[in-house]
Amino acid sequence: MKDRILQKNSDWDWEIKPETSWWQLNFREIFSYKDLIKQLVRKEFLGQYQQTLLGPFWALVQPLLSVIVYVFVFNRVIGVPTSNIPPFLFNLAGLTLWNLFSEIFLQTSRSFAQNADIFSKVYFPRIIVPISALWLQLSLFCIQLFFLILVCSYYYITGGITFNVANFILFIPVIIITAGIGFGGGLIFSVLTSKYRDLLSLIQLVIRLLMFASPVFYSLSLVPPNAKWIVKINPLSSLFEYFRFALLGIGNLELSLLVYSIVFMLILLLLSIMLFNKISDSLIDVL
Amino acid sequence: MTEAVIQVENISKLYHLGKIGSGSLKRDMQLWWEQHILKHDNPNNYIQNGVKVDNNEAIWALKNINFEIKQGETLGIVGHNGAGKSTLLKILSRIVKPTEGIVRGKGRISSLLEVGTGFHADLTGRENIFISGHILGMKKAEIQNKFDEIVAFSGVEAFIDTPVKRYSSGMYVRLAFAVAAHLEPDILIVDEVLAVGDADFQKKCLGKMNEASSKSGRTVIFVSHNLQAINNLCASTIWLEKGNLKAFGNTKTVINSYLSTVHQKSWKKEFKINEAPGNDFIKVFYVELIPKLVPGSSVIDIRTPLTVKFKFYNQSDNIPLSADLLLFTLSGDCIFDIPSKQTIFNKGVIEGECKIPGNFLNDGSYTFTLHFSKNTSSELFSYKDCLMFDIADYRKNTNWYDKWWGYVRPDFPLELKTVE
Repeated sequence: MKDRILQKNSDWDWEIKPETSWWQLNFREIFSYKDLIKQLVRKEFLGQYQQTLLGPFWALVQPLLSVIVYVFVFNRVIGVPTSNIPPFLFNLAGLTLWNLFSEIFLQTSRSFAQNADIFSKVYFPRIIVPISALWLQLSLFCIQLFFLILVCSYYYITGGITFNVANFILFIPVIIITAGIGFGGGLIFSVLTSKYRDLLSLIQLVIRLLMFASPVFYSLSLVPPNAKWIVKINPLSSLFEYFRFALLGIGNLELSLLVYSIVFMLILLLLSIMLFNKISDSLIDVL
Repeated sequence: MTEAVIQVENISKLYHLGKIGSGSLKRDMQLWWEQHILKHDNPNNYIQNGVKVDNNEAIWALKNINFEIKQGETLGIVGHNGAGKSTLLKILSRIVKPTEGIVRGKGRISSLLEVGTGFHADLTGRENIFISGHILGMKKAEIQNKFDEIVAFSGVEAFIDTPVKRYSSGMYVRLAFAVAAHLEPDILIVDEVLAVGDADFQKKCLGKMNEASSKSGRTVIFVSHNLQAINNLCASTIWLEKGNLKAFGNTKTVINSYLSTVHQKSWKKEFKINEAPGNDFIKVFYVELIPKLVPGSSVIDIRTPLTVKFKFYNQSDNIPLSADLLLFTLSGDCIFDIPSKQTIFNKGVIEGECKIPGNFLNDGSYTFTLHFSKNTSSELFSYKDCLMFDIADYRKNTNWYDKWWGYVRPDFPLELKTVE
């Protein structure tokens, strides 16, 4: 008799139980939804630029305008040195990487609340939505990176800078770590903001402050020694240095800081995915 | 023997009424501080007549639900509003977690709790078919294969490359349902989606669902207030009442006992003479509909003979009086107008009675109107909608699952015979 029950239990394909375990992340299930991820990316991309004048060029216009403002403020007015690199290029490089981080962070943290109506009507692994937000931002980043390299080439041809294409290999770890930290932080806040809406405005403030605490418009070497620890505990700092080194050949590289960023990213990702998994199911009741 | 594809074991769902948290971090932190550090009472609990009332009251939306569905079976779920139908569907579709219990299942499950889930207004019909299809769990190849079929079913071929925000609401719903109708899961869960669209489209949808269960051997779980549709589509039915499983079994039996609680037992109105509706000529103080229920049935169905009785007070002497009994459908179409013979009456109580045979009216909701006139020409008083009642459907030996056509449904003989 007992054998029969056991046999029967193993026959079922799926089970719905009151509790979700911390570790329950079914990669095979997520992979089976890859079409949905692609479609959501496409939908967001198309939806974002529907009925706009410039369409996808907005992905370039927005950073371009910001850079012009920052060049004026930081370099013309305040006079921040940029180690013989044209200020426009220096700031564009910093801002491109910063945008990758901040957009992934913001869009991921909004993803849950924005899709609450779909979540309450149909089931698919909830993490699909942040993943598609991540994917979209990565694709937009590729456009911006391509543009950045074009600008670099212009300066190279006109003799403003020199660069080493072999260093481009450093882009890969830098992009992965930046995206990882943005995604992990975004995931945690996506769960929190759907419960506490007032956090959304807080996030934007924190992001803005974090931008100035990261070497986006200045290089690490400019930071006075007594304030250096602030920039050093920021796991994003080394990434900007490595990114500018890969592109422009400048910056002081500290491997220990990079290792710190990697460890930070891994722990953050692990924690955030566990938290998302555990809480996202019960969150539907609250939304 | 067919095997069970869904097994629901002791499912309960607890919802907290009132506020779950305050939605603001500041308030929640304040509350936590006050309750856990300062040991104050939860301000949501207040004292009433010396008893502490917990304002964060919890209710069981579902309580200890057990059932099993076999492969290829179509299960209907009926119940009043708030009985827990939607909660049950949401648990089965994995949208919300049960508080207790376990659901086990086999195969791919798709749920249709709303039409147009995931539609993006700015995108074209074509884009939206893909988005909606993917969200509902279809694979890319599957949608591509069925694309033409979906478009044809929806009937919006000409506008397929127009953003859906320019669609009429009917077109929108048709397109949305068309995608859903072409899902091919092993288990399909359908909520009240058939309440949308015109009658023609509803017919198409019901047909599609019937096809899914009877031809393709799919398991369908179906919630509807359209008992007609449940009656014809579902072999067994669950009746939920305030979160409890009131009945589970053969659809006819369950629906009959459900209907007998929905419908009023007596169709009777009685008034004191000074409160009775009327005027200086006529005061109607009693109207009653007396059905002669068919044995084995607890509701008025199309076979039931009906008797209407009414009493009124006539306040004039020597008046040539006649009454009319009119029957209207709820949409306002008049089915009949039966006049009485004109008679000269004096002041006093007058009684009227009219018998309507069984097997005459079609199923539906109706109202009676009483009309009194002098000399069969001038109106004395008209008592509009004095009785409202429903006639349930009854049919056998037919595979027609849709609403039976016609205002009346007489049982006149129609014979076919071979002549050559």
